[in-house]
Amino acid sequence: MESQKLPETTFLRSEVMSLAQFYIPSEISKQTIGALGELGLVQFRDLNKEVNAFQRTFVSDIRHYDEVARQIRFLKTQIEREDIKIKKSTVEEAAVSKTPKELEELEQKISETEKVVIELNENQRTLDKRYLELTEMRHVIKVTDEFFESSNVKEIQENNLKSDSTTGLLKEENAAADLEAGKKSSVTFVAGVIPRAKINGFERLLWRMLRGNLYMKNAEIEEPIKDPETNELVEKNVFIVFVHGQVLLNKIRKLCESVGATVYPVSENAEQRNEEAIEVLARIEDLDQVLNNTRETRMNKLREIAQNIDAWNTVIRKEKAIYHVMNLLRTDKNSMIAEGWVPTNKIPEIQQCLRDTAEAAGSNVAPIMNEVSYRSVPPTYNVTNKFTKCFQSIVDSYGVSNYREINPALYTIVTFPFLFAIMFGDLGHGTLMFLGALAMVIFEKKLYNYKNEIFEMIFSGRYVILLMGAFSIFTGLVYNDCFSKPLNLFTQNTYSYKEIGNSTEGGVSLATELGTYQRTYAFGMDPAWVDAENKLVFQNSYKMKMSVVIGVIHMLFGTIISLFNYLHFKSFGEILVVFLPELLYMGCIFGYLTFTIIYKWCTHWEGSQAPGLMNMLIYMFLSPGTVEKNEELFPNQGKIQLILLLIAVIAIPVLLLGRPFLQKMKNKNVEELPTTNDVVAYSERDYKPPAWSFAEAFINQGVHTIEYCLSGISHTASYLRLWALSLAHGQLSEVLWNMLLDNIFGLNLGIVLKAIAIFLVIGAWLGLTVAILLIMEGLSAFLHALRLHWVEFNSKFYKGEGHKFYPFSFRKILKKEEN
Amino acid sequence: MEAIDFNVDNGYLEGIVRGFKGGIITNNVYTNLTQCETLEDLKLQLSSTDYGNFLQNEPSPLSTSTISEKCLERLMDDFEYLRANSVEPLTTFLDYITYGYMIDNVILLITGTLHERDTHELLEKCHPLGAFESMPALCIATNVNELYNTVLIETPLAPYFEKCLSAEDLHEVDIEIIRNKLYKAYIEDFYNYCQKIGGPTAEVMGEILQFEADRRAINITINSFDTELSKEERAKLYPENGLLYPEGISKLSKCDDIEQVKMALDTYHDYAAMFDNGPNQSAEKSLEDKFFEREVHLNKRSFEQQFHFGQFYSYLKLKEQEVRNIVWIAECIAQNQKDKINNYIPIF
Repeated sequence: MESQKLPETTFLRSEVMSLAQFYIPSEISKQTIGALGELGLVQFRDLNKEVNAFQRTFVSDIRHYDEVARQIRFLKTQIEREDIKIKKSTVEEAAVSKTPKELEELEQKISETEKVVIELNENQRTLDKRYLELTEMRHVIKVTDEFFESSNVKEIQENNLKSDSTTGLLKEENAAADLEAGKKSSVTFVAGVIPRAKINGFERLLWRMLRGNLYMKNAEIEEPIKDPETNELVEKNVFIVFVHGQVLLNKIRKLCESVGATVYPVSENAEQRNEEAIEVLARIEDLDQVLNNTRETRMNKLREIAQNIDAWNTVIRKEKAIYHVMNLLRTDKNSMIAEGWVPTNKIPEIQQCLRDTAEAAGSNVAPIMNEVSYRSVPPTYNVTNKFTKCFQSIVDSYGVSNYREINPALYTIVTFPFLFAIMFGDLGHGTLMFLGALAMVIFEKKLYNYKNEIFEMIFSGRYVILLMGAFSIFTGLVYNDCFSKPLNLFTQNTYSYKEIGNSTEGGVSLATELGTYQRTYAFGMDPAWVDAENKLVFQNSYKMKMSVVIGVIHMLFGTIISLFNYLHFKSFGEILVVFLPELLYMGCIFGYLTFTIIYKWCTHWEGSQAPGLMNMLIYMFLSPGTVEKNEELFPNQGKIQLILLLIAVIAIPVLLLGRPFLQKMKNKNVEELPTTNDVVAYSERDYKPPAWSFAEAFINQGVHTIEYCLSGISHTASYLRLWALSLAHGQLSEVLWNMLLDNIFGLNLGIVLKAIAIFLVIGAWLGLTVAILLIMEGLSAFLHALRLHWVEFNSKFYKGEGHKFYPFSFRKILKKEEN
Repeated sequence: MEAIDFNVDNGYLEGIVRGFKGGIITNNVYTNLTQCETLEDLKLQLSSTDYGNFLQNEPSPLSTSTISEKCLERLMDDFEYLRANSVEPLTTFLDYITYGYMIDNVILLITGTLHERDTHELLEKCHPLGAFESMPALCIATNVNELYNTVLIETPLAPYFEKCLSAEDLHEVDIEIIRNKLYKAYIEDFYNYCQKIGGPTAEVMGEILQFEADRRAINITINSFDTELSKEERAKLYPENGLLYPEGISKLSKCDDIEQVKMALDTYHDYAAMFDNGPNQSAEKSLEDKFFEREVHLNKRSFEQQFHFGQFYSYLKLKEQEVRNIVWIAECIAQNQKDKINNYIPIF
């Protein structure tokens, strides 16, 4: 039968979709979903809408894998902290789906690895802590030593001082404490280490607590010390506090503990201290060796894990994704029922995949897949390749096309770069852009993995930029503009610019002069215009009219596309009441304007002043039917204009009233039909057709009519931006050339100096050309081209109310995680 | 005037805090939370809220204390962000908010030391909002004078503390009295500060702090029944910036039992309604919950005005209530007390 023929994939319309129902035997359901995930062609629908998200069947499995994922994240952070490179898993490793037994082994392995790493961390931390204590101890001993040594000297000095001085109480006490330090046991001292940030507060606290009855000394430890808990470097100070009595000593100890200082037992005796110091040094040495060994073991383990972790992660991600999908399925006795959208022409592929999975799993019952009828709107699936992808995304960011609606992306491939190029017409700039994009296209594979947000954005649009550059070369040739200078390509030395330029003296413009030369430049603008006084006037008139002509053609083209949409959806009535009035309205007014523009270009106005088109259009409305004799373009113009105007005016009410009544008639028919034909699909059971009301339809159409008719004028005017931007671009590049290069070329300098000056200025000129003209101007032209497509073009035919097809695909899920 | 130049300094933060407010859990989410079977479910549900993946790296099984800790951590992060970006006078205002928590911490540490608890354990229990540098040193103090002279003198709490130096030694009742005296001084000071700022801040914060003062007065009265606290002593603890001051306060100070409190508050409609228990008393919420409800109501209202600081205070209080709610629900789930799970206080 003919119906067996699969629909073709085209870029013009989205794929034909089918709603498929799968019966999957429970025992192989996981493998089947996994295989479909590898295939990435099914968008599963939720069959358990009434069930709460965490009451579904496989929530516990998901949670289980969440836990495994946490373990992997833990290992990953450990690896990353040590700056070990993680090996990317190869495609083959990732593609193999695992059997339950393999999975279990893997999980066990992961959790065992986690335990091992935690243990290693723990070991290292204790060792680090020991090490920290010993180093701190070493510093404390060192500082105490220094202190006692110097205090012996001070002792004598202070003694002398004390005899005749009237120093404050505090100082006296300090000195006393100092004096007695070595002799009496009632004066004791505490030594320890405290983070430098806390030393001031600590000192204040101590002072207040002991009412100044203390002698405190502190010294900075030069090297920062690594805190084993947080792995951060902390700057610390050693302090020694002398106080009277055991009670106060205990108090200080307690304070130290609560403030976060560590106290170390240091003996008062110098010899003992020496012994202690030697012992500490010896122990540090021992510990160093052990520490190195532990660190090495840990690093080795982490390096080993780094080889596998990416592959593990991929497997676990996939498992989790599978269970997420399985939560959408309905359980029915021994099988699971799944429903989802699939592209109709991929059905054989999917069926083959199902058979293969059943075979591989050794099941004697293969999953069954049926097409079922549906009433809700299928998702839009536009198949793209690396070239069309960016154009599709330009369209999609405005709105995803309705199911099977004509996809404007196809036309965008040509019209977008073309409209851009009209605004960006410059051979030189176009060539630079083209080459830049070409480089990206040629080194595509190498650049693909380069991560940088801005670069990625530009890189993803490389084919658009390539075409934009190519089209700009073309328009640059038409405008005869290369870095604001014209090229003389087709006429060789037929005349010198100077001679003609001089002839403009006395107010005779070059344009009229040119006529006498009787020569035609083969392609694009004649370079002779370069020095003409009326160059700008001519260019403006030319570009303005060109913008209108291109705009009207673009819009009429959009209107005509809507015809094909109506034909495709078989709404023939709308061709009569919507398409036809729209086309006539647009054609009779603006189509006519376009015609007159071209007519005026083609006519040779011998000597006489050519009639103005602007007034013609205005008086076409103000005084219909009459055109003054000297304003006439062609005979009978008044009558023809009257007829056109009548057609356009009649088109408006038809457009306003046609559709609502048409829909009303149609809707009546629908209501008479039985509404329930047997629905097989579970996901379609609670489908409600969208409500329709006459009032609403009428208002909508009213808005549409007003919008369309008014937009005829405003949208046409909107295309004038083509002219405006093109003018701005041309002028800007001319300014840049004149201000920088011309000035330098004209300078009266020695040859060496001039060479240097030219070298520098050309650098500046190039930099500004790229920054301002290529990037800034390019962006602005891009934006305007975008607007012309989204607003002016799309509004003529494009609904853009569809929803995108999101197949369940491992590739997409894994890619998303990477970003 | 506020409307003209408020945004120069505080516009950004107001925007931020309103954004934060938008992230406060709504009733819908609470309904989902209450349906959770396990704490893992709760984690799953919370991950779709502003809390995001804050529990993602916690190993199972979860405990309620981890949840509460992490929630508070989030709150702290947000608050610290506000504080770090604020300029005067908002900075002082935000500092004022933290003083309340400081008082709680001081009292907690003193009580803990009295009962000879482990210092580190105590420090962990302190509210992070009320942490200050010399806080750990509180553990070594044994009497009030020492406490004041060694530690508190350099904290912002010092002026409040001056007023209760009379208490000689530290035992249970005295600590409570100190706490209430501190609070009284704090609330009155904060109230005056807000009035000094003026404009909508004075208006909004005035209302909230008046309620806070009244709540304390009522609570003090009710809690003092059957204790050795004399009525004169009690009268000194009532904050003097509330709606109840002066008549209501003087009535309250004479109360001996709950019925008299009811009578005393009879003319204050909002408070009288709280004592009006209705027919089935057991199912009704406790007085405390009703106070919380009223507080939430007032705090919600502060978002209806613009160009004032009250919303920073309110945001913090609402978020705190939210954390309490989450912890309550988590506790109910953990202890399998599903029938009480709906006793949380809905916010939005």
